Amino acid sequence: MSALLEVRGLCKSFSGVRAVQDASFEVEAGSITGLIGPNGSGKSTTIDCVSGFQRLDAGCVYLDGADISNCRPAAVARAGLIRTFQNVRVYDSYNLLDNLLVAEAPFRGQGWHDALLRTPSFRRARAMAERRARELIEMVGLTRLIDAPAAVLSYGQKKLLAFAAAMMSRPRLIVLDEPVAGVNPTRVNEVAAILRAANAAGVSFLIVEHNVEFINSLCDKVIVFEQGSKLTEGTPDQVRDDPRVLEAYLGIAAKAVERAEAV
Amino acid sequence: MTRDRWTLLGVIAAVVLLALLPQLSRSNYIIGIAISGLIFLAAAAALNLVYGYAGLLSFAQLGFWGVGGYCSAIAVMDFHRSFWEGVLFAGLVNLVLSLAIGFAIIRTTRHAFVVATLTFALLAGLIARDWIGVTRGPLGIPGLPPPTMFGFAFDSSARFYYIALAFMLVALGFLYGLMSSRIGLVLKAISQNDPLVESQGISPTPYKLAAFVIAAVITGMAGGIYAFHLKIIDPSFLDFYYMQTFLIIVIIGGAGSFWAVVLAGAAMVALPEALRFSNELRMVIYGVVLVTVMMLMPQGIAGWLEARRVALMRKALR
Repeated sequence: MSALLEVRGLCKSFSGVRAVQDASFEVEAGSITGLIGPNGSGKSTTIDCVSGFQRLDAGCVYLDGADISNCRPAAVARAGLIRTFQNVRVYDSYNLLDNLLVAEAPFRGQGWHDALLRTPSFRRARAMAERRARELIEMVGLTRLIDAPAAVLSYGQKKLLAFAAAMMSRPRLIVLDEPVAGVNPTRVNEVAAILRAANAAGVSFLIVEHNVEFINSLCDKVIVFEQGSKLTEGTPDQVRDDPRVLEAYLGIAAKAVERAEAV
Repeated sequence: MTRDRWTLLGVIAAVVLLALLPQLSRSNYIIGIAISGLIFLAAAAALNLVYGYAGLLSFAQLGFWGVGGYCSAIAVMDFHRSFWEGVLFAGLVNLVLSLAIGFAIIRTTRHAFVVATLTFALLAGLIARDWIGVTRGPLGIPGLPPPTMFGFAFDSSARFYYIALAFMLVALGFLYGLMSSRIGLVLKAISQNDPLVESQGISPTPYKLAAFVIAAVITGMAGGIYAFHLKIIDPSFLDFYYMQTFLIIVIIGGAGSFWAVVLAGAAMVALPEALRFSNELRMVIYGVVLVTVMMLMPQGIAGWLEARRVALMRKALR
């Protein structure tokens, strides 16, 4: 497998505090890669840098070989990398269909005059976009709410909607920031199934998440961050058995456990 | 699609009624109010594009309004062009001006944007008063002649009324086309959630700038026409009264809702007149109505209706 996303030597400080320090990692094409680590280990900053919402202090980001370091967020998205937000973001006053239609790709070739005059090619593009939007809303199971404003959705439903919107422009890589945090536990498996189906259809994922069970069941590879850089990576099983990971999460407590076990 | 049909019927009825108004009323006073109302409505709808759709609270509208008024007056009086060329000139100057201003300030934070646009409006007022060589200062430019077309003079209120009506219809028609298109969809998405729009591959800046410029051109042309309704332009043309009128219409109606703002525009013009049965209390009652609406419906009438709808749907889903 080749690297779809390649991050090299990423550094980012906020007024002297080093949030990310010389982080390097890869996301293979077609994979579901997890990114875990204790609070404050730099996961969210890394996502912000990769998706263009923060400028890098140093380092490079490549998407499928193309340098997207320090591109504007919109340019990163057009290059095929779409991110979602930890505090779920949707257009509250729009119904679900319009939420997705804002985000579609087929309109990209259309100019302002096409949109204003609603030319035939524009209407064709719109019909295509609408069909895709309906399919995606069906995929995340929100069809019965399709005409309701997004404001009526529950927190978990909004996360599903945000995911459907992320799929709209047919990205190659979707970066999910805590897709199941705050989601009803009974729904977590549904989310995993939806992500697996999308992955089978060719979309790669980088997922930041604290729910270890969710990550382990889903990911091909897990990257562990600690204090702003990569601590280790490997399959979920390898990572789970790595004593350094336990230590990163639990600190000295892990050593205490070891000592207790030795006795 | 019955709702669309009702809207269409309502629009046709309103247009017919407006077209017949000079026949229905011989009162120059009422026609004069109607002319102001039509022009204010176009300017308010333009403000709705900037503020309601693009989410930019712009006080620059007052400046564009004044610049437009002075441009058309100067084009006619000093350069001896026709009224129509004057109005086009007003639009053109505002196009260039708003591009320059917008380019500089559109990326600033919300508060900085408000202050910058406010500064521009105040500056325009200062220039109108103090650049005597061009604007003739506090005395203003009196005696603006009635517009003519192929020898026909729009020399009475009833005739000038049709210029205002035609302008309002063209401006609102254009704005409706814009706001109901995909461009309007993206604009309102930007005002709801800027980072999300960016994360979906759309740069907000060109959209915001375009909304700012289009609104400036419409407002400027509206000002250019309004000056010829007053037949004089002086620094009071840049009085905050006008900005306040546009803002009240947009806020009461509900920023971001096209039809609500149109209806609010009609109501805000008619209300002070409808209250004339009690001349002493007229403005007091007007003020009480405004304050009450703002207290009960801070998001405007459209926002209030929308909130009720969402609450009902939430309840139904429980």
